[in-house]
Amino acid sequence: MKNKMLFIILLSLISIITFAQEDTTAVAETKDKPVRSPFESGYLIDAQTTVIPNPNTLEMVIQHKFGTIENGRSDLWGIYAPANIRMGLNYVPVRNFQIGAGITKTKMATDVNAKWTILEQTRENTIPVAVALYGVMAIDGRNISAFETGQVREAYSGPVGSFKFPDRLSYFSQLIVGRKFTDWLSLQAGVSFTHYNAVGVLYDHDKVGVHFNGRIKVSPQGSVIFNYDAPLKIKEISEQLEWTNHPEPSFTFGYEISTSTHAFQIYAGNAGSFLPQENMMWNQRSISKDNFAIGFTITRLWGF
Amino acid sequence: MKKRLLNLFNVFGMFAMAIALFAFVAPQDQKAGAAWNVPANYKSMKSTKATPETEKVGKLLYAKHCKSCHGGIGEGDGPKAASMKTKMTSFKDAKFQAQSDGVIYYQSFVGRDEMPNFEKKILDDEDRWAIVHYMRTLK
Repeated sequence: MKNKMLFIILLSLISIITFAQEDTTAVAETKDKPVRSPFESGYLIDAQTTVIPNPNTLEMVIQHKFGTIENGRSDLWGIYAPANIRMGLNYVPVRNFQIGAGITKTKMATDVNAKWTILEQTRENTIPVAVALYGVMAIDGRNISAFETGQVREAYSGPVGSFKFPDRLSYFSQLIVGRKFTDWLSLQAGVSFTHYNAVGVLYDHDKVGVHFNGRIKVSPQGSVIFNYDAPLKIKEISEQLEWTNHPEPSFTFGYEISTSTHAFQIYAGNAGSFLPQENMMWNQRSISKDNFAIGFTITRLWGF
Repeated sequence: MKKRLLNLFNVFGMFAMAIALFAFVAPQDQKAGAAWNVPANYKSMKSTKATPETEKVGKLLYAKHCKSCHGGIGEGDGPKAASMKTKMTSFKDAKFQAQSDGVIYYQSFVGRDEMPNFEKKILDDEDRWAIVHYMRTLK
């Protein structure tokens, strides 16, 4: 069944690529230009948009999520609770292709990522949607003793002495389809596949998820933004008999302010990590008021 | 003890006065920029046709790329303007508006000194002209 699913995913990707090449030719003939700024940044909260900055642009991103708001004013609604941080750099070597790397505080995870916008929505609707592929590989940077002494049972439950480097690796791949409907409304939908090389015996190695996000522009520089991620319960790829540790879906909403070189997003949501595979595999915080945490994303662009 | 306190008070007072004086002096340090040396090929550039659509696009792009320095209505009073060494010209100024579209294009997108180059940030020529058209509406 797993092989069949991989075959279907591969087939879909090949057909998308073929479709992309055909349509690129069509664009060249009609000179239909891509729509302007379907999103203001490549980041939408902790998700990705189909937008990639201009070639030879370096992007620095600072992401921060405070603790949950459940303790109220005692820790100033989570602002003085333990926080999660990710700092990363992205570079655009050629048009519509971006590579990046970052480090997240939780698990001291180092990630490398790549995004390819295969199709851009055009002004005359020759291409009605934007399509992008996004992939992340992360390396769990925790001390080896944490795995082998059973401190992190969800991540590893093998015998002492057999933990290897590949057991630290996790992967996330996503297909994103987006459309700028009007000057003030852009929406995206996505499907993703998450894989962890090593997990505890009570957990699954693989998860398929769906994603939905968007922005509602309320002023030339301000937008209301939201993101929803849902890991799916697919029995065929589960290694468990019951859904005891199934991750929770996450919902985040916020506000974005953007300028020529910056995007600043402030938000509240129930997902604790910045790495998509972490949120798709491990998020145990349900969508309820007490599980929400305040966070922000800041991006800065430099053109070369 | 009293003398030490008095000395401390005097030092603190002098600092406070210095800060207050600098606050008045700083903006006056801004100097008007020298005359622009615009290449002939830019001077003779012909703009695209202005339409309500280009003005709408220009307004959005102006808000994103220009407003933080040049201000909401182009008077050179955006949040970053005070930290500039050069005094910005108001887009309402008759001398500014008397310049050709090509000259405004060069000043806006090629730039010099504190006016950054925007050629790599705004790639589409149509978008650049849309901003020029919008700047024309600010007079």
